[in-house]
Amino acid sequence: MLDKIVIEDIINEALSTGGDFAEVFIEDKINTGLSMLGGKIESGMSGRDYGVGIRIFKGTNSVYAYTNDSTKETLISVARQASLALKGKSKDIKLDLMKKEIENKHKIITFPRNIRKNRKVQLMKKAYEVAKKEEEISQVKVIYMDSEQKVAIANSEGLYVEDKRVRTRTAINAVASKDGEMQSGFYGIGGHSGFEFYDSINIEDYAKESSRIAKTMINAKPCPSGKMPVIIDNEFGGVIFHEACGHGLEATSVAKGTSIFAGKLGEKIASDVVTAVDDGTIPNAWGSQNIDDEGMETRKNLLIENGILKGYLVDKLNGRRLNTKSTGSSRRQSYKYAPTSRMTNTYIANGKSKKEEIIANTEYGLYAKYMGGGSVNPSTGDFNFAVMEGYIVRNGKIEEPVRGATLIGNGGNILKKIDMVGNNLAHGQGMCGSISGAVPTNVGQPTIRVEAMTVGGRKGEK
Amino acid sequence: MNKKEIIKLLFKRGKESGIKDMEVYIQGNKTIDLAVFEGEIDKYSIAKEQGLSFRGIYNGKMGYSYTEKIDETSVDMLINEAIDNAKVIDSDDEEHIFEGSKDYKKIDSYNEELEKTSMEKKIEVTKVLEKEALRLDERVEKVDHCIYGEESFESVLINSKGLDLKNKSNIAYAYISVMVKDKDDIKTASSYKITKDFTDFNAKELAKEAVDEALYMLGAKSILSDDYPIILKNNVAASILEAFMPIFSAENVQKGLSLLKGKINDKVANDLITLVDDPFMKEGVASKSFDGEGVATKYKKVIDKGKLKTFLHNLKTAKKDGVETTGNANKSSYKAPITIAATNMYIKNGDLSFKDMVKTIDKGLLITNVEGLHAGLNPVSGDFSLSSKGFEIDSGEIKRPVNQVTIAGNFFEMLMDIIQVSDDLKFTLPSSGGYIGSPSLKIKSLSVSGN
Repeated sequence: MLDKIVIEDIINEALSTGGDFAEVFIEDKINTGLSMLGGKIESGMSGRDYGVGIRIFKGTNSVYAYTNDSTKETLISVARQASLALKGKSKDIKLDLMKKEIENKHKIITFPRNIRKNRKVQLMKKAYEVAKKEEEISQVKVIYMDSEQKVAIANSEGLYVEDKRVRTRTAINAVASKDGEMQSGFYGIGGHSGFEFYDSINIEDYAKESSRIAKTMINAKPCPSGKMPVIIDNEFGGVIFHEACGHGLEATSVAKGTSIFAGKLGEKIASDVVTAVDDGTIPNAWGSQNIDDEGMETRKNLLIENGILKGYLVDKLNGRRLNTKSTGSSRRQSYKYAPTSRMTNTYIANGKSKKEEIIANTEYGLYAKYMGGGSVNPSTGDFNFAVMEGYIVRNGKIEEPVRGATLIGNGGNILKKIDMVGNNLAHGQGMCGSISGAVPTNVGQPTIRVEAMTVGGRKGEK
Repeated sequence: MNKKEIIKLLFKRGKESGIKDMEVYIQGNKTIDLAVFEGEIDKYSIAKEQGLSFRGIYNGKMGYSYTEKIDETSVDMLINEAIDNAKVIDSDDEEHIFEGSKDYKKIDSYNEELEKTSMEKKIEVTKVLEKEALRLDERVEKVDHCIYGEESFESVLINSKGLDLKNKSNIAYAYISVMVKDKDDIKTASSYKITKDFTDFNAKELAKEAVDEALYMLGAKSILSDDYPIILKNNVAASILEAFMPIFSAENVQKGLSLLKGKINDKVANDLITLVDDPFMKEGVASKSFDGEGVATKYKKVIDKGKLKTFLHNLKTAKKDGVETTGNANKSSYKAPITIAATNMYIKNGDLSFKDMVKTIDKGLLITNVEGLHAGLNPVSGDFSLSSKGFEIDSGEIKRPVNQVTIAGNFFEMLMDIIQVSDDLKFTLPSSGGYIGSPSLKIKSLSVSGN
């Protein structure tokens, strides 16, 4: 993608003011995006991203610069400008970049760029038609995207490694209308996979599900407010662990001591039934990749085992701050971002309870079948989530649907309040936004129960 | 080949390939991103980037493509992809490439001094900001984010109908987020300043604003679930308004995704509410003389004393509704197709001071912070349920801090239930949806969920 000699020159220039480590990240990415509303393609966009990011460390000081003017002269000049932020003398280094071969764990059969746009449109139409069929569904939006990202990463330790990430995603948003009100249902799926991804799933199932959610919610009453037990279903329900705990385990906030989980390795931070993992190696999973964006091979990282904190997600820079090794967790949206520790495919591992048992054992509470998004303040651990589809549980049975519920709480507390974990682990796909941009991540879990949580709804009392 | 020659070649090849009208939009950005942590430079990022967006009408449909590699090797790709994208479009909407407005207002949105100020000074201001916050109170445990940023944009819009427009602007911002600790009680708060004038950065003032807010929150507890009269502090009102911006877009209205459909000239808010979109506002981050389609921008009242007067339009939606475009076509980046967005949009000040507004509440809540705006809020239904922080108001006075509560309601109902408007207009951090502001608002009542 760039000549090795040029890369070596950039690294040497970057280290000319006393930096002790320099890295070059080269990205060439083809993107396709299609948007369909009401069964008609509204817009299509495709294009090519190409750029280079240069990072320099001196101890725990870090400098980042990027450009998409990739002539040798510009790159060298950008490296020089970046190096000016550091003050010191150049060390004499002899750099000989050696290409490191990595095993490709994510086989791609049909590259999306080899598929005619018409076939992508047909897939979207199929989703639209199924979703629109339901009564009360007034509008359906379908989004399709695919991308092929080639990266090359080189650094002053002699590393040179390449990777290719192919991803595709389809999302369906159905809107139900009734008596001047609207409610929406959403389902998004995707993989680190070629177009064959759509042979492994049936898009119609997801389209049907999104319109069923919208329809259920338009006929639902406002959710009651107050503290109550909350059952969160499997798959995308894992967003709760991702937001409330996962972000606090990223070295980005641990190294600065601004995470509630900082300095707690080996301590009990969750109830016994909780084991949690971040695994960037799951074949063809949405959040997987062969190497992280610093060129380290991704791994399966144990975060929590039977309630005990076992590990953090660590990138190179924060590894220096924490005096620990990288865990292959460094990610970035593109060359426009310096990488940092992020999640890949994160999940709560299977427990022993059955979903039916969890529900049958709940006298009164909220059953959150599908979660919407949420956010967290890593310093305090306070989080909030929207419930997309919720129901009241009474006397061990799922009863009437309720809308507009938000779950709020504190990551430190909630982990200790998970009292039942099911055995039906599944993964959902999302985009996670943080300081190094938006990256594809899987969230996952079996059905879990939190013994008490604050539910924010619109109805004062039970 | 220089850019002019590449554009010429693009238009020539495009025409040969059957594209009727074409447009090129080139955007160049220069950014600086600095962060300080414990007296050290924690982040130092500089960037120079550009991208070219191409669009053209092929068989009546608009096709888009873009590239970050601006040279002749991209010309064929841009044309082929745009044609390919146009071919799959089956929307019947009529598409336009604009020949130009009569007059374009001159706007001064670039301050040369900003770029001339030395990097050392910018680093110094960021370091002082952190230092000030740390020494203000011993309970200040950490400054978790202390950021200085700068962006300068240059955009060029050239089309085959002879339009040739240029825009240059820049902006700088500082942001600080502090963490205070009293025994086991940890609270955070932040403050920010956006300006084109570097001398506007007052580190002391900005640090104090964040530290004070965090300290006030110490000891915060939840309150009993109930319906309460609510004051939304200016910044909170502005963030909620920003999240509901999509309802004013004619595109969403026409697609059946806004409940404001069919309500032009109807009363949609309390008489006290006037909502303005002002692309010429001095100090407005989103000020501009032409929009994403090259149309001259204009000042407009979207809501006038409670009555809905217009939606925000681009050429396509305006034609469909048989009205004139409002100049709100938005090109958020060279990678994005044309959408609709507000420019500088705000609720006009009322004549009540914030203090006097608090005095009118016997028992209620002042909300100073909301979270989860991208999750706990549905612009289609208007429903929101947001994790919130603030203070209890008792007998007209601000009392103890409150957290771990949600406020919930419906935006369309809330617009009617705004019973007082303060005189303290404030703008939120700018986003692709525009630069949005509001004064503090008193709402008759919202559901609060706590204990």
